[in-house]
Amino acid sequence: MKQMEIVRNQSKFFLISIAVIAVGIIFYIVNGVQLDIQFSGGTRIMIETNGEVDSNQAEVLVENALGKSVTAQTQKTNNPGAEGEVIYMLRLDIASEETLTPEERDLVIDIISENFDVKEGGNQEMLSVEPSIGRETLLNGLKALLIASVLIILYVTWRFSAIHGFAAAITSIIALVHDIIITFALYPIIRFPLGEVFITAALTIIGYSLNASIIVFDRIRENAKLMRKNTFDEIVNTSINQSFARTVNTTVTTLLAIVTLYIFASVSNISSLKEFSLPLIVGFTAGVYSSLFIAGPLWLVWRKGTMAKSPKNA
Amino acid sequence: MRNYGILKLVAVIVVIAVCAFLAYNEVKNNNIRTGIDIRGGIYAVLEPDIDKTSLAAEEIDKGLESAKTILGKRLDARNIFDRSINIDNVNDRIIIEIPWAAGETNFNPQEQLNELGRTALLTFQEVDYEKVDENGNYLPTGKIVIQGTQVKDAVPAYNEQSGWVVALELDESGSAAFAEATGRLVGKPIAIFMDDQFISAPIVNQKIDGGKAIITGQANATEAAELAATIRSGALPFRLVATKVDSISPQLGEGAMSVAVKAGIVGFILVCLFMLLVYRLPGVIASIGLFGLAVVTILFVAWTKISITLPGIGGIILAIGMGVDANCVIYERIKEELRAGKTLRAAIDQGFHRAFTAVVDSNVTTLITAVVLYVLGSGPIKGFALTLGIGVAISFLTAVTATRLMLQGMSGIAKNKWLYGVK
Repeated sequence: MKQMEIVRNQSKFFLISIAVIAVGIIFYIVNGVQLDIQFSGGTRIMIETNGEVDSNQAEVLVENALGKSVTAQTQKTNNPGAEGEVIYMLRLDIASEETLTPEERDLVIDIISENFDVKEGGNQEMLSVEPSIGRETLLNGLKALLIASVLIILYVTWRFSAIHGFAAAITSIIALVHDIIITFALYPIIRFPLGEVFITAALTIIGYSLNASIIVFDRIRENAKLMRKNTFDEIVNTSINQSFARTVNTTVTTLLAIVTLYIFASVSNISSLKEFSLPLIVGFTAGVYSSLFIAGPLWLVWRKGTMAKSPKNA
Repeated sequence: MRNYGILKLVAVIVVIAVCAFLAYNEVKNNNIRTGIDIRGGIYAVLEPDIDKTSLAAEEIDKGLESAKTILGKRLDARNIFDRSINIDNVNDRIIIEIPWAAGETNFNPQEQLNELGRTALLTFQEVDYEKVDENGNYLPTGKIVIQGTQVKDAVPAYNEQSGWVVALELDESGSAAFAEATGRLVGKPIAIFMDDQFISAPIVNQKIDGGKAIITGQANATEAAELAATIRSGALPFRLVATKVDSISPQLGEGAMSVAVKAGIVGFILVCLFMLLVYRLPGVIASIGLFGLAVVTILFVAWTKISITLPGIGGIILAIGMGVDANCVIYERIKEELRAGKTLRAAIDQGFHRAFTAVVDSNVTTLITAVVLYVLGSGPIKGFALTLGIGVAISFLTAVTATRLMLQGMSGIAKNKWLYGVK
């Protein structure tokens, strides 16, 4: 089988990544990132309705009218005054750094009244909501990720000591940061609200990316023993080619499942599941790319750099 | 040898079938607890049961802050990670949202909420033989020997004489007070109360040094574990009473759950078809292994009563993805070995052997991430880490061990190399 010349073309692959990230940065500067209510806090509007309403539809209506991220839920209470009677409330959580203006509030109530059976003279309230994922949760999460990274670097350095494990560990981490940045770039580009769902998606992508890089380095580790007469360039190129079928097949299977979820969510108009599956599709695609075209070649660059400095180790 | 191989194949399939049957039962009986984001749940307002004018504003704020932390610990102990606990500083109250318990959709959870909001101040008190209720149980006397704040640790334990108990380890001041009191009260009972509720009144046999105490009178392991967890989480500064209890619809939107389930089933079938097309016979075996992974995960979720949230689903997807990946790595290796001219049996053994280091290393790094995130993370991050860690452990068993046994068994029956993906 003819091998692809990945190592020889590595600068092209690096450039593609840099270009994609650059596009993300430009969009970030132009559009900024819209934070969802879990991070930004916002305003909650409660409207009493006659009977239950379709919260998915209400969400889309208000979102389109305000241009802000909205979470709609319905709330049912047994009326303490009258036995067996139920009070239905539509609850709209609107992400915004500042409180809604009275005009915006009236707009929301008008739209809901036009489309749903709002109870006349019923209860309506507006209150402000604190971010549910505060700085503390985020900082704790980041701290946990840092500690996990250190442990992973130690483990990989040890297990891959035959092939300069520290370089393998650091390039794996670079590859996963690359994947997260590309996933993050999705948000300013398509103006997705960045919320709790991103945390889940990012964690999933981190695990996936790391796994993919390890598989490639495992092959390099094995071939370094088997192909002693070949150059490092050849070893890395062969290893990536040998991992190619596995990496592509794994990604295709995973993407099959996630794309199915995305299609189902789109058809049923469930925005939260779309917001979950789309970043995964982008992140997994970035993951297969970085594990094949970034991690190994970058390791090679590092390896050559250290060998040039201390020739006796070569 | 050949019959032995078939036996392995049949044994693995039987085990998976039994798990599938058990999992089906759990799903049918609604024993899967799904998170508030997926299925909705309870929204409740908890008010401090005190005269708010009797306390300074800062003191109420401080009390609500510590109540929030303690409520979080109590919910952690019940494996409810997907909740939100918010302090409403304007009205001095706490608003919590928790998922429905498995199988529940509409009921009045007032009692459970009040149970959650109880002060849980543990006290050991001297008794007054005159002060008993109609059942003959001692009433609190206010002569406190030790209390919950002096407890360092509480764990459920079993001993021959008393059955299930909660074993307490006391701090320095608690140990001293307990030693003094037990020395003085030999032959007399000491009554144990949770808030003002009588638990038991063991008789002091001798002076107890060393800061160990036990609470007897626990009906079973669950009751002992719950009491221990409540004591560990500490006492609330005041009792919280549920004044408003509503049901709320899922944050992810109505119907998110059924859509996710349908997409999951269709996605699973597509994955199986893809594996079948690319890897042929081993692809079938991988699909059986994946099915095993899915049903064992369902069983685990049902038995531990953790609630499945979107982050939890993320963890499961990653675990399943890694299971698929392990299979791809192994089968590509088997193909390579077959192309190199090895016999089928040797190719399978070599394939597993060679792929093993890659699979172990990738699984261990993922487990490291999961454990660290579980220990240090909170809320959604914890939920993700839990299912990921469990899923990776299960996927290692099903994708490596189970498929290996099945493939070895199969290689005794189906010997045509085409079936294994080689021309």
